Amino acid sequence: MTAPAPPTPSTPMPSTRAAAPDGAGAAGGVAGGWAGRARAAAVRPWLLLAPALLVLAVLLLWPLVRVGLFSLQDYGLREITTGEPNWIGLENYREILATPELWTVVLPNTVGFAVLSVVGTVAFGTAVAVLLASLGTFWRTVTSSAIMAAWAMPAVTGTYVWVWIFDADRGVFNDVLMNLGLLDDPTNWFTNRWTFYAIVLLNVIHHGFPFVAVTVLAGLLGVPKEMLEAAEMDGAGSFRRFFSIVVPQLRQVFAVVIILSTIWDFKVFAQVYLMPGGAGSNRSVLNLGVWSYVESFGQNRYGFGSAIAVLLTLLLLAITAVYVRTVLAEEER
Amino acid sequence: MSATRTPPRAVSRTRPGPQVLRRGGRRSPLRQLGKGVLVALLLVFTLFPVYWMLNSSLDAQAGHTSSFWPAEPTLEHYVFVLTEGGFGTFLRNSLLVALGTVVISSALALLASVAVARFRFRMRTQILMLVLIVQMVPLEALVIPLFVQVRDLQLLETLTGLIVVYVALALPFGIWMLRGFVAAVPVELEEAAYLDGASWGRMFWSVLLPLVAPGLVATSIFGFITAWNEFIFAMTMLGGATENYTVAIGLRSFFGVHSNDWGAIMAASTIITVPVMIFFILVQRRLASGLTAGAVKE
Repeated sequence: MTAPAPPTPSTPMPSTRAAAPDGAGAAGGVAGGWAGRARAAAVRPWLLLAPALLVLAVLLLWPLVRVGLFSLQDYGLREITTGEPNWIGLENYREILATPELWTVVLPNTVGFAVLSVVGTVAFGTAVAVLLASLGTFWRTVTSSAIMAAWAMPAVTGTYVWVWIFDADRGVFNDVLMNLGLLDDPTNWFTNRWTFYAIVLLNVIHHGFPFVAVTVLAGLLGVPKEMLEAAEMDGAGSFRRFFSIVVPQLRQVFAVVIILSTIWDFKVFAQVYLMPGGAGSNRSVLNLGVWSYVESFGQNRYGFGSAIAVLLTLLLLAITAVYVRTVLAEEER
Repeated sequence: MSATRTPPRAVSRTRPGPQVLRRGGRRSPLRQLGKGVLVALLLVFTLFPVYWMLNSSLDAQAGHTSSFWPAEPTLEHYVFVLTEGGFGTFLRNSLLVALGTVVISSALALLASVAVARFRFRMRTQILMLVLIVQMVPLEALVIPLFVQVRDLQLLETLTGLIVVYVALALPFGIWMLRGFVAAVPVELEEAAYLDGASWGRMFWSVLLPLVAPGLVATSIFGFITAWNEFIFAMTMLGGATENYTVAIGLRSFFGVHSNDWGAIMAASTIITVPVMIFFILVQRRLASGLTAGAVKE
């Protein structure tokens, strides 16, 4: 279940104690001066890792275990204060799966939205990268600086700006539509589930496409020019050249971009929570993350919220695993 | 703004030819026009939210009439936000939290990245996988147990509690990014220092550290942005302790029950966004290459 990159392409797996044998720097020249004497060399990496591993274990791994444990309990305010467990087995999960809203609202809002936003972000980002690659220096400079500005906008402030643009009473979107005669009365776009998520989608794509564009552009510029020229000589059109030469060359880049976008888009929280009605008052726009949060911190049902969070995590891991397997399988072919 | 000049230089240096995907030589005016339209549309889409934020923040009429340039230019929203609005305190809190996060997480990440980039040991691969996997865990899943944990430590509603959490959030990516930078330093340099009798500590301070300094800067900026932008933990852990609010949740104080002070919200948003934009422009190349490190070749 690796992700963006196979972590150790250069490390032969069986070399468990490569640094141990006699002689400094004998470990294939990799450990170099760091290895020092054999015994010290075996301890040193662990000394260096210890603080980081401690933090990861206490603040990331143990909480992950704990969220699993909470999900098997009726964990509320009383349990938080006393610290006493209150086991109820899989009752929380049973309740979640028996909630009709899960199937009609929450899962579609989570999975459907993630699929749309990954496809949208990657497609749009790639199109922008292709456009950038075809520009001269000046316009590429201008455009990529603008893209940087979009990228830098924090999710919280970005979300507020979109909320303000689409505001029912004073928003510029309604104003323009009304002035053009396309709309008679101000419309509240946040109450309808579809328009609500259309705005979230706009927000997420606006925030997410710069990473894709910049990464794919870097890949595009690395494609050997000779290959493209040769293909052109052979009469390949620009579409043909893009899909037959550029895309295969960039398969790894696309894998990274897609996996990271998926991870980010499934975790969309502030972009929904901060919208009008997004913090639980409008049940039709709940997604898994917000549902978990409002059950936990709004209703003090920490156990139930934990169970939802566990489902979200499992969903995310499953999707990543499928992606990674596909990528690895492609590589072996 | 001299910073805006950075991206083009970065791009043009690696660029093999001026127009990679252009049909060789042919330049029909229609094509050029089409491209111009696309660029214009892209610029509008990309910059409109940024422009609209600035526009509203500078307009005394913001929230009353919408106009495409400040109808009544003013700085009053900024003055209000920074004085009566109490945003100065939020800025100070965010700065403290972000700096604390940066210092601790970069130090830990550097040590760990030396371990995984320079040594081969049992479990090395597993540790790298662990570092990757924990990045996928949604914050919504961590916020419940960490809330309980920080509560048990009696650090709720404190900046320290927030720093503790943010260090954990910034660390995995920091290790992942720095590992690439450490690996890129030629090991021969360290071997030479070692043969010259340099101690382990000296090798670290005098050979490795100066060479990975750019990577350290990039990692630090990433950690800073993580802490500066973070929302869900700040909202959960700081609760009602308004005096400890960070900028990301301090913004909410300008939302009213019946109407929102959009001029103030946009002015505060601008104040939050500007440092991030500057950092992004400074770090952009490293950010993109750090995220994809190892994907293309290593």
